[in-house]
Amino acid sequence: MLAFILRRLLLAIPTLFGVLVVVFLLLYVAPGDPVQEMVGERADPETIARLRKELHLDEPLLKQFTLYTGGVLRGDFGNSYITQRPIIRDIRERFPKTLLLAGSAMLLASVLGITLGVLSARAPGGWFDRLGLGIAYLGISFPVYWVGLILILIFAVMLRWLPPSGYGGIKYLILPAFALGSRSIAFLARVTRSAMLDVLGGDFVRTARAKGLKERVVVVRHALRNALIPIITVLGLDFGYYLTGSILTETIFSWPGLGRYVVNAITRRDLPAIQGSVLFLSVIFVLVNLITDLAYAKADPRVAYS
Amino acid sequence: MDPALSTDVPTGRAVAYIFDGLTRFTPDAKVVPGLAKSWEVSADGLTYTFHLRSGVKFHDGQPFGAKNVIYTFQRVLDPKTKGGRGWPLYPIKGAEDYAAGKAGATMGVTASNDSTVVITLKEPFSIFPKLLAMPVTSMVAPNGADNLGQKPVGTGPWKFVEWKHDDYIRFAKNPDYFDGPPKTDSLMARIIPEMSTATAEFEAGNVDVLSVPDETGKSWQADPDKNKLLQSAPALRFWYVAINTTRGPLKDARVRQALNYAVDVNTILSAVMAGRGSAANGVIPPTLPGYDGSRKGYGHDVAKAKQLLAAAGFPTGIDVELWAATTDQSPRLSQAIQANLAEAGIRAKIVQREASSVREAARKGAADLYVKEWWADYPDAENFLFPLLHSKNKGPGGNVSFYSNPKFDALVDQAHREQDESKRNSLYSQADALQFNDAPMVYLFFYKDMYAVQPWIHGFNVPAVFNGQRWTDVTISK
Repeated sequence: MLAFILRRLLLAIPTLFGVLVVVFLLLYVAPGDPVQEMVGERADPETIARLRKELHLDEPLLKQFTLYTGGVLRGDFGNSYITQRPIIRDIRERFPKTLLLAGSAMLLASVLGITLGVLSARAPGGWFDRLGLGIAYLGISFPVYWVGLILILIFAVMLRWLPPSGYGGIKYLILPAFALGSRSIAFLARVTRSAMLDVLGGDFVRTARAKGLKERVVVVRHALRNALIPIITVLGLDFGYYLTGSILTETIFSWPGLGRYVVNAITRRDLPAIQGSVLFLSVIFVLVNLITDLAYAKADPRVAYS
Repeated sequence: MDPALSTDVPTGRAVAYIFDGLTRFTPDAKVVPGLAKSWEVSADGLTYTFHLRSGVKFHDGQPFGAKNVIYTFQRVLDPKTKGGRGWPLYPIKGAEDYAAGKAGATMGVTASNDSTVVITLKEPFSIFPKLLAMPVTSMVAPNGADNLGQKPVGTGPWKFVEWKHDDYIRFAKNPDYFDGPPKTDSLMARIIPEMSTATAEFEAGNVDVLSVPDETGKSWQADPDKNKLLQSAPALRFWYVAINTTRGPLKDARVRQALNYAVDVNTILSAVMAGRGSAANGVIPPTLPGYDGSRKGYGHDVAKAKQLLAAAGFPTGIDVELWAATTDQSPRLSQAIQANLAEAGIRAKIVQREASSVREAARKGAADLYVKEWWADYPDAENFLFPLLHSKNKGPGGNVSFYSNPKFDALVDQAHREQDESKRNSLYSQADALQFNDAPMVYLFFYKDMYAVQPWIHGFNVPAVFNGQRWTDVTISK
C-alpha cells in the first residue's frame, strides 16, 4: 500500500512537469502582453521596454522557462505582476475558501444524491423513481450559472432568507454549495440508482433477505456497499473538478476563491499567477485521483494495490 | 492600493478615498486644492509654486510636509518601483531621465521650506495642476511605503481597515481629515464580478449605491418605484472605433468619412446601449470646455457614404477587419457596426479577442478598426485630444489610429503652453474641428453613468471623473 502511494507520487512528477511545459508554451504563444496590462491605457514605449527587461520577458523562451522552473524548485512561485504580492500567499489565502465550497457541495451532493438514488432503486418505475428521474434530468440540464441566479432570485431577493452573495458564515455557504452541487446530486442519483438495481438483483441480496434481515439493513449494509465503486468514481471526479475552479459559481456568488483568482489572472495576463495556480491545481487533481483510487480498495476488499 | 502602481479604475477609486494629491477633483470635475492650499505659476508658465497645508498628518501620525512631495514623485518614477505610470510627471524637468534611471538625473522639484514646493517644468504645461489630482501622484510617506499595496496609509478622508481579496474593502472615517471628517463612520466597497448578483444585492437592500448595468437601467427606468432611485450623469467616457490611418484604403480621409456616414450612431445608442449616452461630434465631451455644440456630427447617410467611397476609387466597397474585445458592450457594438457598414458596401470581418489581445494589436497597428472606450484621467479636453490623436502618442501612448497631422499637433502643443483659459479652449475647439474632418475614427458616443441609490442615502452625486466621488458628504438615515 505504502509502496503504491509512493510510486503514484513519483509518477506525478513527470505529469506535473508536463503541465508546467504546456502552460508555459500556451501562455507564450497566446496573444496579449502582460506589460501592456501593467502600464494601463496610456504608456510610453520606454517604460514598456524597461518593464519587459525587468521581468525577463525579453529573454528567449528557454531562459524564461529555466528561470521560472528554478524558482518553483526552490519553492518560489514568483510575485504577481499586477499586485507584486507573492503568488503562494494569494493561493494560500484563496484555496481554503474553494475547498470549503467544494467540500460543502460534495457533502450535499452525496447525502441528497445517494439517498435519492437508493430510494428510487427500491421501487423502480414507482412514483418516487419517476420524481427522482425528473429531478435528475433538471439537475443535469440546467447550467450552474442559471441555477445560481434563480437561487439568488428566490431565496435572497424574494424570500430574503439568505444573502445573495459574499463570503462569511454558513448562511453565505448554502446557496453556492447547492448551486455547485446540483449537477452532482442529479448525476449521483442516477448512478446510485442503476448500481443499486444491479446489486439488488444479486443472489447475496436474496440470501440476506432469506436470513430475515430487516430491509433497511439489506439495502444499506449489503446492497449499497457493493454499489459503491461507481459512486466513488463520480464523487472523485466531481470533487476534482470543483476544487480546480468552480469559476462560474465563485463568480456568480462573488465567492473569493481560487477559481476567480485564476480568471482575473488570465484576463490581466498575470503570468506568474496563472502558472502558479495551474501548477498548484494540478497537484490537487493528482492527489484527489490518488485518494479516489485508495477509496476503491476500502470499499471493495477485492481491489488490492501493491 | 499603492498609488504608484495604480493603473485601473477600481484601484484609482480606492486610492482617492485613502490618499490626497496636491490637488483633487470634485464630483462635477472641478480641480480644487488638495494638500496644496494654493499655488501660483510664473509668467513664463515654467515654475509652479505650491503652498502646502500645515498640520496635516498621515493616518499613522507621520506629519506631511514638502519632503513627502519630493519623495512621492521620486518613488513614482523610480525604476525600482516597477510602476508603469510615470507619464503624469513627465512634464517636470528631468523627470523622464530620472525614470529611465540615468545616473545623476535630478528632478525639477525642490522644497524652499517645509510648506513650499517649487516645481520646474521642461516646457509650459498649463493644465499641470490637473495631473496632480490623478491617483498615481497621491502623496505617500517613506515609512511603510514598501507595504502600501496591502496596508495603504495616506492623509485622505478614509482610513484603510481591511481588504478581503475579491470580497470587499472596508474603510473607516479619518476624524482628523483636514477638510472635515466624512459624515458617516465607515465605507465599504464590495467587489462583485457578476452584475446580476450586484443588482440582486441592491434589491435585497445590502448595497446602498449601485452602478447600474445598461439593460437593468432600461427596465428600472420603466418601473416607477425603481426609477425614483436612479441618478445619472454624463461621464467622461468616450466610445469610438479607432481607424488605423496607415492601412490600405483607410489612408484616404474620404473612406474614413464614409465609415462615419455609414454608422447609425443614434440607433446603436438606443438599441445596444439602452440610450445611455449622447452621440459624439468630435472627441471633446459636451461637459468640457472646448466642446463646440454648433458642429454637427456626421449623421447616418448611406448614400453619402457610398458616394465618398466611389470618389476615393472604391465603387465596389472595401474589406476591413473590425477588432472588438469580448467584454462589456464591445461584441454587440461591433455587430451593429458591421451591419451598418455592410449597407454602405464596407465588408467588415469581426475579430473578437479578449481585451488584452485587442489592446496589443491596436498598439502595434496590426489591424484596421478597433472598437474602443476611453476613460478620462482628468477632466480636460486635452486628455482626449492629446493621447488619442497627437502624433507623439502613436501606439502605446493611446493614438491607435496612428493619426498624424502637423497642424493638429501644433494646435494641441500651443494649447499646452497657453495660460489663458479661454484662448486655450478655443485652441481645443479648433483642433477638434480639424481632426473631425480628417476622421481618424468613427465617432460613436459619450457614455452616461447611471447609479441606483437607496432612499436612505443622501448627498451622493454621480461623479464625472472616476475618482471624483470621495463619499465625504454622504449621509445615511435608516
